[in-house]
Amino acid sequence: MAKTPKFDTLDSELVNRLDDLFREDNLPVEAEKPKKSRNPPIAELKKIVLSIDWEITPQALESFLDQVRLLKGVYQADKVVIMFLQILGSLGQYIKSSRSKVHPSTFTLLNSVFARLEKIVSTPNMPEPAKRKLLQAEMAAYQQLREKISQRQAAASATPAPARAVPVEPAASASTAVTAQMLARAITELKEFIRSEMKALRQQMKIGAPR
Amino acid sequence: MAFVNLKNKLIQVKIVYYGPGRSGKTTNLEYIYRKFHQRIKSEMVTVKTHGDRTLFFDFLPFDIGVINGYQIKIQLYTVPGQVKYDATRRLVLRGADGIVFVADAMAVRRKMNIQSLQNLQENLASYKKNLRTTPWVLQYNKMDLRDNGIPMLPIEMLEQDLNQEFRRPYFPASALFGTNVAATLKKIILLTIASIRKELL
Repeated sequence: MAKTPKFDTLDSELVNRLDDLFREDNLPVEAEKPKKSRNPPIAELKKIVLSIDWEITPQALESFLDQVRLLKGVYQADKVVIMFLQILGSLGQYIKSSRSKVHPSTFTLLNSVFARLEKIVSTPNMPEPAKRKLLQAEMAAYQQLREKISQRQAAASATPAPARAVPVEPAASASTAVTAQMLARAITELKEFIRSEMKALRQQMKIGAPR
Repeated sequence: MAFVNLKNKLIQVKIVYYGPGRSGKTTNLEYIYRKFHQRIKSEMVTVKTHGDRTLFFDFLPFDIGVINGYQIKIQLYTVPGQVKYDATRRLVLRGADGIVFVADAMAVRRKMNIQSLQNLQENLASYKKNLRTTPWVLQYNKMDLRDNGIPMLPIEMLEQDLNQEFRRPYFPASALFGTNVAATLKKIILLTIASIRKELL
């Protein structure tokens, strides 16, 4: 197939970028070797969960989502663990998109889901029904959280804007309107996201259920 | 197939360093991390047990930025080379978009290189993939040992053993000293992204 100019541009752009990144001149090899962990990968996730609990930073959330993705690859043969990771991933995405407006129960659920996941992973001989029982409890809590978020959103959108006793600057008013629109869009996206996640989880539960 | 999010314009590429035990897969990633750490701004995660052998895997993710409107993220993995860890190897190989086969150029490791390549083909077959359609390159590592009087496999022999059928790009290298480590990485990224682009069209 003949290359189009667009692809030629992409090729040369990519080559240039890689040359820039991996140019060897004047760059010393750092003496220190990379961090090595003797812990299983779940321990890395624990550190990140604890750090999110302490302070929500974009870096910690990115690491969290990366680690969840990584663990999904590691535990892909274990459907229950995968479902736990999907819940964690959904919570992580929600925290990332909502930041300071996150429902406070989210962190309690995040810690609880992780604690149960850790228990399952560190107990290799745990019977499958016991694992499923733990999962069902967390899925129910996840569902509850989802409802709480919906209720809060519904309440927020139903409440009429209070009459302002003090006039506000026009610029501030405009900025509030934009924020409200953005919030409404974020809420819609979140609803769709949670709906699709729940659907996927239910399907996987059906697939993984004993016949 | 790589993780491609058209909405967010994100492409995530998984590249796996494969090869026999002690061939230098981890050394490749360590060199990349130590040499280019300031530019790639990433952390390498290495999960090790039992001395210095990789029983699990090494993981080095980094961004190469926006190319043609797409954010491209690369994830480098190594697999444990020891024969008995085939299940882990297969697991890490799952979803690989590109492969670097790191062969050990020492004469005594000839048979192990061949066995490891066969193992790679078997494991790819379990995912209905093969070395004819998957982007991959070879790296003939430990070339620096030639200067120490250690018997080494000539390039022609390595090519005959491992690459005669495939004719893929190959790099004589020394991961310990960084020779051709970046060249190997650049080549596999280019081949892999070209392949993903082809699949998307």
